[in-house]
Amino acid sequence: METLKIYLLLALTSVRARMEYKGTFFVFLFAIVFFYFAQLGVLIVVIARFKEIHGWTMGEMAFLYGLLTFSQGFTTLFFNALINFDQLLIKGEFDRALVRPLSPLGQVVFSRFEASTIAHFVIGAAALYYGAKLSGIVWTPQKALFLPLVIIGGVLIQGAVRMFVTAVAFWTLRNSSLVHTVVFSSKEFIVYPVSIYRWGVQFFLTFLFPVAFINFYPAQYFLQKSGENLFHPALQVLTPAVGLVLFALSLLAWKTGINHYQSAGS
Amino acid sequence: MTAAMFLKFASVSFQRQIAYRFDYFVAVLNGFLYVFIFTSVWRVVFTKAGGEHGGFTTESIVTYAVIAMVIRISFSMDDTALPGKVRDGSVAVDLIRPMPFHAMNLAEAMGYSAFHFIARGIPILAVSALLFPVRIPADHLPLALVSLALAYLILFMLNFAVGLLAFWYIEIFPFMLLKYGLLNLLSGGIVPMDFFPAAVRPFLAFLPFQHIFYTPASIIIGHANGALAIEMVAEQAAWVAVMGAVCALAWRAGQNKLVIQGG
Repeated sequence: METLKIYLLLALTSVRARMEYKGTFFVFLFAIVFFYFAQLGVLIVVIARFKEIHGWTMGEMAFLYGLLTFSQGFTTLFFNALINFDQLLIKGEFDRALVRPLSPLGQVVFSRFEASTIAHFVIGAAALYYGAKLSGIVWTPQKALFLPLVIIGGVLIQGAVRMFVTAVAFWTLRNSSLVHTVVFSSKEFIVYPVSIYRWGVQFFLTFLFPVAFINFYPAQYFLQKSGENLFHPALQVLTPAVGLVLFALSLLAWKTGINHYQSAGS
Repeated sequence: MTAAMFLKFASVSFQRQIAYRFDYFVAVLNGFLYVFIFTSVWRVVFTKAGGEHGGFTTESIVTYAVIAMVIRISFSMDDTALPGKVRDGSVAVDLIRPMPFHAMNLAEAMGYSAFHFIARGIPILAVSALLFPVRIPADHLPLALVSLALAYLILFMLNFAVGLLAFWYIEIFPFMLLKYGLLNLLSGGIVPMDFFPAAVRPFLAFLPFQHIFYTPASIIIGHANGALAIEMVAEQAAWVAVMGAVCALAWRAGQNKLVIQGG
């Protein structure tokens, strides 16, 4: 309980630090929302023109995008500090976290609040809402209960991916370009339904780098899309399990990394 | 200001890029990733549309996606350098150099871009040509080169103008985000202008963005040819003149605003 209080205090401090320049904060927020709307605009132009992408209509694509972006909101809320983790190592600031009587990972995670979190929630929620409405999802109790589980699973998968690539920094120190490619660019893959890619890429995004579980497989379940089952229909409900397993593995990778870590010595 | 000085600045900027080898390999991978995603999307929607749509065939839209991406990569510039110099005051050193500030910036941008063209653009083009049906007709080449040069100047001046905002604002990252958003959506780097709704297109014609990637890419692949292509290049030239004037005015106003602390 006491530990939790300390974490909350750390998180609140970082929010306060962010809000110090309120004008800048809101301009920043506006710019981020604009940036994501422009990204969404690309998708909208293509679908408006071609009516659908591989059988996925505007509403279904919006739902797919919403699942990704909404869970990304929680991911940036919890795991954002990991993006620049290599800088903490290079500057030796991580050593401070190591000598405190708190989990080093916890300290890193709660040390940075990011304004883009809010943008993700706003856009993700809007896309989920309109996507569900446009595509006429029939909500059953099972579906309503499964939605939060899918979001949690998606957050765990994205968090695990961040943990894995940042753990690499314990060995290589500088690894920001790797982090950016794996975390941000790979996301582009799943803006579109995974079924549009070749078999090898589908396999890769399902079993080796399983980001397809963040949105593609659960969206099939919610939208009851039959006729394009990749591999096995059971995959549609596996998101929470995949999230848990992957996250446990990534914690293990972090532990191994910390044990290997020798300070940059500055 | 001599050609030799210009080349020196360009080559130093080029060499600076070579230092980050790991970043380089990841960046090449990154470029492939985007080419792969967009060609997959076009292949799927064009197959559904019967192999032809809006003046493109499946083959020509895939070529467009590859060419537009290679141009985007080859036009890489360090758009944080200029605002960084203004913020930390090192712009003062540049002001007393015996070389016009904009020429020096252009030289550095070109050195940077040359590296990305050779090290990333060409390999991505070569591998894409092996994997996808990329067809580039040679008869448009002279006009395409003119269009590419003008497009480069437009993007350079856009970056320059946005960078100059650092004279007035301490934090210009929000402006950068707006710029990236507009470039992603309206420059034709991802979606060619032909696919935008007819109601929106006249408005896009009043903006410089489509002349950065759409115009050169569609001339290269022969999507725009004849009188239309020449007209588009003329529009590019007009935009170069307009933006040149904007940059010159902003630069003069910025210098008056500039206060360098300490010494």
